[in-house]
Amino acid sequence: MKTLVITLLTALLGITTPTLAQSPQYKQAMTDALTAMNNFRGQPSATDLLTVANQFERIATVESGEWLPRYYAGLNYVYLGFMGKDQAEKDKYLDQADVNLKAAEAISPKNDELAVLKAYIAQSRMIVDPMNRWQQYGPLFQSGIEQAKAMNPANPRPYVLEGSSLMYTPAQFGGGADKACPVLKQAMEKFATFKPASEFAPGWGKQQVEPLLAKCK
Amino acid sequence: MNWIALLLTCLLTVSASAQTVLTGRITDHNGHGLPGANVMLRGTYDGTSTDSTGAFRFSTSRKDTATLVVSYIGYEPTRQKITIGPNPISVRLNELANELNTVVVTAGVFEASDSKRMTMLKPMDIVTTAGGGADITSVMNLLPGAQRVGEQNGLFVRGGSGEEAKIVIDGMIVQNPFFSQSPNLQSRGRFQPFMFKGTSFSTGGYSAQYGQALSSVLLLNTTDQNQNEGLGISVNLANAGLTYDHATRNASISATGYYGNLKPLFALVPQNVDWTHVPELGGGSLTYRLQPSKTGMLKFYGMYSNSVVGMNFVDPSSETGKTAFNQRNTNIFVTSTYTDRWANGNWQLMSGLSYSHDVDATTYGTLDFGRGTDRLQGRAMLTRSLGGKLGNQLLFGTEGSRVTYRNAIAGTPYSLVDTYGAVFFESQVYAGRKLAIQSGIRGEYSSVLNRFNLAPRVSMAYKTGLYSQVSLAYGQFYQTPDARYLYRNTSLNYERADHLILNYQIIRNKRTFRIETYYKNYAQLVREFTGPNGTLGPYDANPYRFPWGQTNNTGYGYAKGFDLFWRDQQTIKGLDYWITYSFVDSKRLFQQFPTLATPSFISNHNIALIGKRYFEKISTNVGLTYTISTGRPYYNPTNPTFLADRTPAVTNLSFSASHLTHIGKNLTILYASVDNMLNTRNVYTYLYTPNRNDGSAPTRYAVGPASYRSFFVGGIVMLSRKAKVDVRQL
Repeated sequence: MKTLVITLLTALLGITTPTLAQSPQYKQAMTDALTAMNNFRGQPSATDLLTVANQFERIATVESGEWLPRYYAGLNYVYLGFMGKDQAEKDKYLDQADVNLKAAEAISPKNDELAVLKAYIAQSRMIVDPMNRWQQYGPLFQSGIEQAKAMNPANPRPYVLEGSSLMYTPAQFGGGADKACPVLKQAMEKFATFKPASEFAPGWGKQQVEPLLAKCK
Repeated sequence: MNWIALLLTCLLTVSASAQTVLTGRITDHNGHGLPGANVMLRGTYDGTSTDSTGAFRFSTSRKDTATLVVSYIGYEPTRQKITIGPNPISVRLNELANELNTVVVTAGVFEASDSKRMTMLKPMDIVTTAGGGADITSVMNLLPGAQRVGEQNGLFVRGGSGEEAKIVIDGMIVQNPFFSQSPNLQSRGRFQPFMFKGTSFSTGGYSAQYGQALSSVLLLNTTDQNQNEGLGISVNLANAGLTYDHATRNASISATGYYGNLKPLFALVPQNVDWTHVPELGGGSLTYRLQPSKTGMLKFYGMYSNSVVGMNFVDPSSETGKTAFNQRNTNIFVTSTYTDRWANGNWQLMSGLSYSHDVDATTYGTLDFGRGTDRLQGRAMLTRSLGGKLGNQLLFGTEGSRVTYRNAIAGTPYSLVDTYGAVFFESQVYAGRKLAIQSGIRGEYSSVLNRFNLAPRVSMAYKTGLYSQVSLAYGQFYQTPDARYLYRNTSLNYERADHLILNYQIIRNKRTFRIETYYKNYAQLVREFTGPNGTLGPYDANPYRFPWGQTNNTGYGYAKGFDLFWRDQQTIKGLDYWITYSFVDSKRLFQQFPTLATPSFISNHNIALIGKRYFEKISTNVGLTYTISTGRPYYNPTNPTFLADRTPAVTNLSFSASHLTHIGKNLTILYASVDNMLNTRNVYTYLYTPNRNDGSAPTRYAVGPASYRSFFVGGIVMLSRKAKVDVRQL
């Protein structure tokens, strides 16, 4: 009887005792935030994206040793970067994506998913004003993609970004379906075998590729 | 068993009853709610985002006190101690300083930059503007404050002559920025616009960092990385060249080589000039950049060129009306800069060393009129950021140069060496986000004059609205007189100009409006007395004459006026157009002027209309430019009033187009342009024959462009598969 009480109390207190392993609170918070993110239907509103980005940033503030909350916060700011109402607002979101990327890189320096995020931010920056930013962000995008591929050849996401970027680049600038389709197919092949490294590790990309593949013969 | 259940119930009840609901509102400093702000208790998972009114509500198990952390994009994050309880909490956030809400000192400056978001021009504009011929200075001549003087080299800014503007690359003055001038013909700048990531054209009131320019500095900053990879071939009507670019992780190299010959162009475009040796040129350049550390950057740039030209030019002083002119130019320019920063960028160093060598082997008829310069310059500048959220900073630096000038005048050699040193100090202080004051002082010494000068500069800017601001600038500027005066008189003093500038600008939603008004006072200008015993002699309008007379610094003058700039990239989709208008009223008593008069390089009204459009479907960029410059004074010996005559207005309608395509599998850019589409017979100035002894009336010769309507076509083929083409460069 006494043992049971002690066990119960320990279990209850254990929740608030910091441990080296991921706390149940972290797991719960991440699960909640990722669920919110996965529940976005169609085009999420800026408010929804910001709410989720805030959720991840709050987790990141408590769990200063975890790169994933920073990663997802950054990713949501990239999405916001596509949605901002003008250049200044888009850049403001992307500045915040950069803040999260830098913080994540400090926790996990050689990380293929963060290289993908870096490329994604560069792509988003470019789309803000392609004519004027091509030169500055084109090479940054490319280097992020290449770093990610080198660090983890099994990761499909650099291929997702590269393929979709090629698809939206006119043929005369070196893009087009002919160039994009082989890359997108590579991405799909990699998705077939890809296993996320951990419970919360990134797994997105397949849904982005599928509609684009429809344009391939 | 019962008491265990009781214990559990108690525990659960305790934890449930320990939940306190926190409510409150997050606002900006005006009390407007901020939706989507992030609110949390430090060290806990308790928190939420604010709703559309800035209100928040969340529960916590914390008791007594906690730290509330609030963040919102674009605002300073705050943390404050709160007492856990039912009272609503309100937090005001302050906006972060950013390019939109923080004032920038802009009087006199016209900037083209990619890195700054609030600029009126982008570097691409230099390449895509019709009538600019991808020549940096030609495009600057379309900007407000500048004016077009068709037959002379240089930037003519707000009543200033071409010699009063300096071109500066990465902080280093370029001694010979243009290809050598032939009589009455303007020549291109030596530098490719693609080399530069940023261009800042100052039409006055500029920073204490720069000196030796009475009216203007054009600051060009080279790029930090290659824009291409692999081999490229370029061919056009005048020129064939090769480029090679290669980059590694921390270093990059670019090399160019070209041979130019204007024969094919001249065979197609009728020439007004009697060429005896069609311009022919060859040269190359090498760029090397190394990033030895995360913060450091070493750049080297070297170029060499050689050109030959011969013509019989209009020379009213000759019996036949023409004189043979032959010139061979050799030019070398090398510059190397090192920049670094320490302590999180709080200290920044910019340093550089450059050398140039330029020789013109020139003959007029059989007489030697050769000239040459050698210039060695060093420069170091430290910037100390004073922290804070605004850009308060102190800057100090020094530069020195040693310039050797050589001229042969009808076979007689002249030369002099000027050792020049300068120190400068400048502070930039923000009084809040709305007011910025930049004050600086520059001290200079020239060995040939053996004199010092001290030039204070101050400019300030005040933000009048979210998108608009006013700026005010005042400064003193000194320039050592032209070497041709100093050969015969080294007791001269610096020439001086004082600028006062007032500027208003508004940039909103891809539309820009800017107005700037100025007053410029000239003092200590050099006057020449070519008559006997130091009296004023007869006026000699020959622009290439040597100043034989006595000289002193008693000249003076003024320039006043205003410039307007309007650019709109929004109203008509896909169309980008700008309008510039410059008005100047200027008079001087200088050189051999007998009275205060408007110099021959001044045209009172300059208008430029520029339009561009990119057609995505055919990947073609098209531009049109129309310019009007009202008539300039010219010297008419038969008119008793000095410089009272005016040339007709000069107008020009030009067109350019570039198209991106493939030749085989290689990316290719094709371009074509037409200058002076309407074939207008423009006259830049008139020259008169000297008074004849027989009393007959002098003959008048018109000086105009080398050709009227002209066209140009060419292409660039990238041989490397990795090659990328920037749409902006079309």
